[in-house]
Amino acid sequence: MPGPLEFFIWCACFVLEVSVVVCAIRGKVFRRYLPLNLYMAASAIGDVLRFRILFHYGFTSKEYIYFYYYSDALLTIALYLALISLFVHVFRELGAEKYVLFGACFLLAGTALFSYLVIQQSTTKLVTHFVVELSQNLYFVGLVLTYVLWGAILKLRETRAQLVQLVLSLGIYFSLFAANYAIRNLYPPVSPVAIALLQVLGCFLPGAWAYAFLRLSSHARLTPSNLAVIPR
Amino acid sequence: MSKKLVVVALAMLVLVGAMGLKTVVAGSGSGAVLMANGGAPAPPTPWKNGGAPAPPTPWKNGGAPAPPTPWKNGGAPAPPTPWK
Repeated sequence: MPGPLEFFIWCACFVLEVSVVVCAIRGKVFRRYLPLNLYMAASAIGDVLRFRILFHYGFTSKEYIYFYYYSDALLTIALYLALISLFVHVFRELGAEKYVLFGACFLLAGTALFSYLVIQQSTTKLVTHFVVELSQNLYFVGLVLTYVLWGAILKLRETRAQLVQLVLSLGIYFSLFAANYAIRNLYPPVSPVAIALLQVLGCFLPGAWAYAFLRLSSHARLTPSNLAVIPR
Repeated sequence: MSKKLVVVALAMLVLVGAMGLKTVVAGSGSGAVLMANGGAPAPPTPWKNGGAPAPPTPWKNGGAPAPPTPWKNGGAPAPPTPWK
């Protein structure tokens, strides 16, 4: 069973997730960034359900384990869709939304197919292996896409401060988890510490997005000199 | 049509890059699983339930010594293969 510190971090993360939605409604950008807010709302609901299942069945129970990993996969798909909505925001001025959506659907299908091909040799728990594999592969696709989006923001000289903050924080979030994953794989002895850090890292994204919705006006613009200049 | 093909090519490029990155990051592959949503404490993986030792395989019944294979009749030394 997790200790008081783990529960405190978990509760803090839940509060931050709820505050993202509240700040977005207060800042009148809930509908503009609807997929992001839906992801945060789903994440908060997932936390409540995980909390309930954890208390009812226990930390190492099958119920908690399966619910944790299946909900994680659904949340990763939701995060992927939220990232695609940020792509749509950036490429809307170019009139390339339909190509972005087509590419996103193709990439999601390709990732699912690749995940299936990887785990098809598994004889037991095929669906569970598929769900976890898809979640992880989609996570790395999201990581690469975030950096592609950041490159596009630089290239197109996007100046909407709120949008830039959202994309930047997403890139840092993905990178932190990838670094954590790498440390756990490359240095297994420090794995327990890295796993303990996961909870703290999970608070970063809701915190950064809550800050973006709370502090930055939806009309705020960055001065072009604040962005790296890349010749068109 | 050509624009859609470009999109498909870019999507495949992203997929290859992401899977390459995952392979690099996974390194020797200690079986770690990436969990990245919410602040809930991460449980063990679904296919590694608890710390109990793995049971014997279902087709290994009891502790009796394995019988000789059906095609090895008696204790005589095996002759060389006919084609040698």
